[in-house]
Amino acid sequence: MDFGFSEDQELLRATTRRFLAEHQSLADVRRSVEGPDVFDPAVWRQGAELGWTAMMIPAEWKGGSVSEQPLVDLVVLAEELGRTLNPGPFVPCNVVAGALARFGTESHRTQYLPGLAGGGVTAAWCLSGDGSPEPGAVEVRARQEGDRAWRLDGVARYVHAAQNASVLLVVATDPDGAACQVLVPRPSAGLSERTLRGLDVTRRFAEVRFEGVMVPAANLLPGGQDAVDYCVSLATVLQSAESVGAAELLFEETVDYVKKRVQFGRTIGSFQAIKHRLADLVLQVEAMRVAAHYAALAFGDGLDDAAEAVATAGTYVDDTFAHICGEALQLHGGVGFTWEHDVHLFTRRAKVNQVLYGDGAWHRERLVRLVEDAVEG
Amino acid sequence: MDVTVPPIPAAYDEYRATLLAFLAAHKPVLSWKQRTGVRVPDDGADVELLREYVRDLDEAGYRLDRFSSSTERSDPYEQRILEQELGAAGVPYVLGNPLVAGALKHFGTDEQRARYFPAMARGEHIWTQLFSEPDAGSDLTSLQTRATLVGDEYVVVGQKVWSTWAQWADFGYLLARTEPVEGAGGITAFILDMHSPGVDVRPLREMTGTTDFNEVFFDDVRIPAANVIGAPGEGWRVAGASLAEERTGVGSAGGGGGNDPGQRLVRLARRTRRQGRPAIEDGAVRQQIGELAARSRIQRHLGQRMATKAVKGQITPADAPIAKIWFSELNLETTEAALALLGPRSMAVEGDELAEEDGRWQDAFLYARAWTIAGGSNEIMRNLIAERGLALPREPRGPSPS
Repeated sequence: MDFGFSEDQELLRATTRRFLAEHQSLADVRRSVEGPDVFDPAVWRQGAELGWTAMMIPAEWKGGSVSEQPLVDLVVLAEELGRTLNPGPFVPCNVVAGALARFGTESHRTQYLPGLAGGGVTAAWCLSGDGSPEPGAVEVRARQEGDRAWRLDGVARYVHAAQNASVLLVVATDPDGAACQVLVPRPSAGLSERTLRGLDVTRRFAEVRFEGVMVPAANLLPGGQDAVDYCVSLATVLQSAESVGAAELLFEETVDYVKKRVQFGRTIGSFQAIKHRLADLVLQVEAMRVAAHYAALAFGDGLDDAAEAVATAGTYVDDTFAHICGEALQLHGGVGFTWEHDVHLFTRRAKVNQVLYGDGAWHRERLVRLVEDAVEG
Repeated sequence: MDVTVPPIPAAYDEYRATLLAFLAAHKPVLSWKQRTGVRVPDDGADVELLREYVRDLDEAGYRLDRFSSSTERSDPYEQRILEQELGAAGVPYVLGNPLVAGALKHFGTDEQRARYFPAMARGEHIWTQLFSEPDAGSDLTSLQTRATLVGDEYVVVGQKVWSTWAQWADFGYLLARTEPVEGAGGITAFILDMHSPGVDVRPLREMTGTTDFNEVFFDDVRIPAANVIGAPGEGWRVAGASLAEERTGVGSAGGGGGNDPGQRLVRLARRTRRQGRPAIEDGAVRQQIGELAARSRIQRHLGQRMATKAVKGQITPADAPIAKIWFSELNLETTEAALALLGPRSMAVEGDELAEEDGRWQDAFLYARAWTIAGGSNEIMRNLIAERGLALPREPRGPSPS
């Protein structure tokens, strides 16, 4: 039994934290939110050298992980990136890297994986028209044109970092109504995107349109619905870990604040009403943590209860992150309500994480189905 | 990261088969109905049957390390099989409140350990805990039961409450005030022979309708000075060490397999109807079961995290309270959800032919408050997390009552 991180993984955490403090701190992210773009390709490439996109990629394509459990390594990174609300395409790049490594053809891997590992190639994942993982919500249609090409028409919305991507992995339905995923280089003729004015000001999302986009038939990712499910699970695990890191930092700041803030001649952290709310946050942060860590372990190692573990993280983590942001805001009082304070940045991040890659209700329903399957008759 | 438990090798099938045969031959048939929680038989004949059962287990060598004073570890696979099958047998295999074991392990003398551990393991000595008082519940250090040293004996006067198994107990793990100072400093831990003159046990009937706790009165009860655990005045530390172990135990209970709350609620929701269709088809019911199932899985993971921290020596004062609050609140909400699912049928309880599972859910709902209150109320647990875990200022104490 060792439900914790190894020394090497803790070293990775320390290195990443130091790097982010120097190159893309929370203060840096805050400064970028009102600029034209939050993405910094130079930092991203340096981050790639530290392994941000390499873990899911085997060594023969220039990837490599810290341990035998690449997804657990990624959790360490996701937590650290989450602490600073990093705007980079960490989740989509790793989802696409993981999907290509697992389901891709030899040529997909050769073409994209070394670039993704090195940070020169960035990827976005286009899931559906309404951002949910419901198969019925996919609005991109793929049909074969001759023997050699696929034609894509339709729209995918709420796509993270599509504007910065050099390749898109697009979930589409084929003429039989089955799910498939197609790799689309960016730019391509007929491909356009519109940047949303977004609730989460630390990241950019886009509405991506496909109007007769033509790609070679070889760009079809094998795996169909299984590959889509794999991507949804991987995205859920990584985003959960990112939320854990963000919630941890906000919680730490809140504890510091109530120890300093004096009202009625006492620090407000000495009032039991405040202490008990913080005690509840301790429980919630710890519960988020174990849910995300177990999901990474179970899904990464292919344990029997991997699906339940991912659904548990999806059920609990992001809704709880949003709740913690609300508590942090309330405990900060008026100062937390200002634009200059960081709490709203976390609140915005949390509200968006709650609805990306399947919301809590979607994951709860999935978990109930799995429990039903486990109960005979 | 690894939480896998190595599967039990086939070579242990024989051990299990022998144990099962033993249990089939020795497991007592009790008149007492088993219920969820720490429950106590109400018939002395059942207690005698249970004592024989525990003695037979001990004589056959079926002993659990966690109740031993020795640091030697038995074969881990045998221990696991033993825990599994003793649990599955459905009758208690730990009689009384074993809390004193932690105290004796860390603070007892060799003589005390030699005398009390084997007798506890054989079912010969049943123990009870004598901590809480009517005016000292959450504020345990304000306890007023006095033990005055007269010659080489202490003379005890006072009253305790919430003592499980006291009505059948041979020995009590007592906290009493020996020094004329307020607060924790004046408290001493004792081993009390419950058959001593002046000990009066009065069973309490709780909201469940059953009798699982007692009041205990002391009228000039004499305790040899040799029965102090640790040193005089050290009782609060002794109690703290054993209570921490108890809370850990509460947190690790439950979860998994057929007793999984998610699975139980799914079965219940299939059998009950809501608005003309099976409740399991109702979206709100499904969402609620999904939420509780997730929290039940998280309970297991909190236990795995705590076990890992224990091995690495990284346990913090917040860990046991986290587990205790999580378990007790989830348990309460699960029973509330079950009663809601049953709808009007939840009115019918044990003994009525309409009752679901002979009223187990209603009993579990009523008993659930024992978990949120006992062993340190959840409010005290939150104070511990905030004060010891986060280093927030301690609660101010009021003036001592005159």
